[in-house]
Amino acid sequence: MLNLTADQMRAERFYAGALNRIRRFMIAIAPIAAAAVWWRLGTRSVAGFALGCTVAYISFYWLKRAIGGFVDRAAGETPSKSGSGIVLRFLLRYLLMAIGAYVILTVSPASLSGLLAGLFLPVAAIACEAIYEVFVALSRGV
Amino acid sequence: MRQLSKLFMVLSVLSFAVPAFAQGGGSSAMWADIAAGFSMAFASGICALAQGRATAAAAEGLARNPAARPGIQLALILGLALIESLALYTLVIIFAKVK
Repeated sequence: MLNLTADQMRAERFYAGALNRIRRFMIAIAPIAAAAVWWRLGTRSVAGFALGCTVAYISFYWLKRAIGGFVDRAAGETPSKSGSGIVLRFLLRYLLMAIGAYVILTVSPASLSGLLAGLFLPVAAIACEAIYEVFVALSRGV
Repeated sequence: MRQLSKLFMVLSVLSFAVPAFAQGGGSSAMWADIAAGFSMAFASGICALAQGRATAAAAEGLARNPAARPGIQLALILGLALIESLALYTLVIIFAKVK
């Protein structure tokens, strides 16, 4: 039995919510960045950026689920998902990115830069989360 | 012995490189394409190795201490996402520099 102090429990709760916060950061960053891309680069690029953001969001979600299933198995718990399903989803992420890139390359090569920028949405969200965690650690001492 | 085998490996690579240099007068676009292919291959290979190591370390950590599951899971997800982005950085540089 672990005896955690109130501060430790507060910190546990705070860090346990990191993935949900990253998801929310992704949802918040995408429209702001899309507006910036539209203003600077035009409509074609913003279409590519939107596609890239969608692919990146779905890819991150599937990565999270695949790792959840993997961790269930590694920890010796009863797996809730089948192993083939986990592997299939993990590989489908790359297929999704390839299809997105193919569609952009055939329809409008000019918006490829937008697509590539959109694929970095999770990185931007993780960076925001890191900054937020540093801010909370410094201000509240969590 | 190990150093000797490394020396032979380097020499063999260099001997393969010599005919490529001998062709001469090649356009810079050809070299850019070759460099792009090599850089993408290196980036993909090293990212795959890094992902494999991260996953192996996470599995080992979970097997030793299943109670640490939330922390390990979070670190693994973030680690894999960031490692994948390194291959994407390479792809972006290739698209930006190789037309």
